[in-house]
Amino acid sequence: MTTRSPVIDLRQITKRFGNFTAVHSIDLSIGEGEFFTIVGPSGSGKTTVLRMLAGLESPTGGDILLRGQRINDVPANRRPTCMVFQSLALFPHRTVGQNIEFPLKIRDVAPEERRKRALQLMAQLRLPESYYGKNVTKCSGGERQRVALARALAYNPDILFFDEPLSAIDYKLRKTLEKELKDIHRETGKTFIYITHSLEEAMVMSDRIGVMRQGRLVQVGTPNEIYTAPNSKFVSEFIGDVNIVPVRLVNGNTLQSDELGAQFVAPPMPSGFAAGHLVVRPESLRIIERREDAENALRGKLYNEYALGSRIQYQVRVGEQVFIVERLRQQALGKQRDSDVLIGWNTADSILVGD
Amino acid sequence: MSPAERSQRWRASLLWAWALSVVVFMYLPALCLLLASSTASRYFIFPITRWGFDWWEKTFDSIQIRELFKTSISIALIVTVIAVVIGFFGALAFARYDWKGRSLYQKLVLLPIFFPQSVLGLALLLWFNAIGLPLSWKSAVFAHLVWIVPVVTLVISIQVYSFDPALEEAAFDLGATRWQVMKEVTLPVLFPGLFSGALFAFLLSWGNFPLSLFTTGADTTVPEYLYAKMVAGYTPGVPVLGTVSTITAAVLLLGGYGLITLRRRARLK
Repeated sequence: MTTRSPVIDLRQITKRFGNFTAVHSIDLSIGEGEFFTIVGPSGSGKTTVLRMLAGLESPTGGDILLRGQRINDVPANRRPTCMVFQSLALFPHRTVGQNIEFPLKIRDVAPEERRKRALQLMAQLRLPESYYGKNVTKCSGGERQRVALARALAYNPDILFFDEPLSAIDYKLRKTLEKELKDIHRETGKTFIYITHSLEEAMVMSDRIGVMRQGRLVQVGTPNEIYTAPNSKFVSEFIGDVNIVPVRLVNGNTLQSDELGAQFVAPPMPSGFAAGHLVVRPESLRIIERREDAENALRGKLYNEYALGSRIQYQVRVGEQVFIVERLRQQALGKQRDSDVLIGWNTADSILVGD
Repeated sequence: MSPAERSQRWRASLLWAWALSVVVFMYLPALCLLLASSTASRYFIFPITRWGFDWWEKTFDSIQIRELFKTSISIALIVTVIAVVIGFFGALAFARYDWKGRSLYQKLVLLPIFFPQSVLGLALLLWFNAIGLPLSWKSAVFAHLVWIVPVVTLVISIQVYSFDPALEEAAFDLGATRWQVMKEVTLPVLFPGLFSGALFAFLLSWGNFPLSLFTTGADTTVPEYLYAKMVAGYTPGVPVLGTVSTITAAVLLLGGYGLITLRRRARLK
């Protein structure tokens, strides 16, 4: 990713609304043709960042550079960027075709040419040709997504922004549309900047992910980096089910958990580390026979189990804390509730993070 | 017939009877007006002894009546245009944009609606006199606007509330200028609201009596004439004019509704 030349540079971008700082001095560089996703809980400032990139809000401080040119004061209608809105913002008084042709009409493209381009885009996005004259409000959710994307592509922007367009779509269709979007990204070679509150969605599609929290960009990395090396408790929790144990360093590389009354071997830790959280993913946590089977072990009681389709999730109570263990369905445990189990993990599979 | 079926039928006939009585109650007066206008005699006698359309002929031939219509239509048309323009921008401020003082503005705008119209008419008359404005149908336009603009603002606001602001942003983001956004998106999407606003403005002005009474000066509108004639000098010309006035309003309303429906049908294929 680092070999791409940057198309967008954010330099200490800040946005304040009155006394409230929505975005706090963000530095970020996004490469040409990259699929970059900003992820964060609602209110984390991700939409504000996107709106500043689109030119719909202007930053209170800092600079936005497009291929090295400062574009802070360029309004949205003169930026080579286009946004797919959360509500999709399809024009209800226009047909599917007219919606897609809108940016071309604004540019005074001849009607014949417009129609040709619209039909071309509809074919690319798997919208039947007969939809050209269809009222856009009569389209289904997935079709409307495609119309919105086609309209944005008709503008022929260098960069496309997506403001959680899939958030209101049911799971199965969302999965399909995520794949389609990734295909479109590949076919067009344009830069995609996507916003979502679901890290799972971000993982599937993105080249790189930026995680935002309370107006700050807390981590930027590839999906793999974010998953395997979160730099904070916040990021590690954001991905989904995860086991987190508060720990403090007692000597050399021994970690002490006061709640569990247990000691663990510390994985590589940030310099000057004194106390923090040990993170173990459910798939790295194993149910073992003997203490010697893993570098770290805890004794607990089987509390509950959930079938997740291809996997089974076990909840194991150790003292007050519930640990989550995931196994493939073929390796089902077959134990009664409340039976004693031993759980363990290898030090290399654990991560040490601050808050 | 089973008891369930019988009670079903009983309920249905009750419903019909109720609906019919409401319709009769609402439309019988209009029918009476039509009947009263179709008499050949000079006075209002019921039941009608001699039928005839002489008064219709006389009414349509009268130059005075034509003047009345001209005045009423002029006022209503001008009021409609001005009220829709002001109401449109007022509705955007009312429902589209969030600004400091908006909630106060929302209340102030609606206040004139709650004023009794005759009091408002008198107040306006005093006010016109104070600033030395000569009274004519033109001053009545102003008086009508004071009461009608708030109504129109409210009517258009209802449409604006359901307007997704992202539509304007999307158009702007797709390269449109501010003016193109207005012309290509805002106005067409809000059109049904503007149209109903215009209809309201015309009909409210057309039928208005209390404000006109105080503010038209020497000019006379249709409702003023009707009132004057009823107080003194009744002829069956009064119900004729009343009927024509009602029909004009009804045609406008139904025509407008039809136009909107046709437009929508043409769009929704």
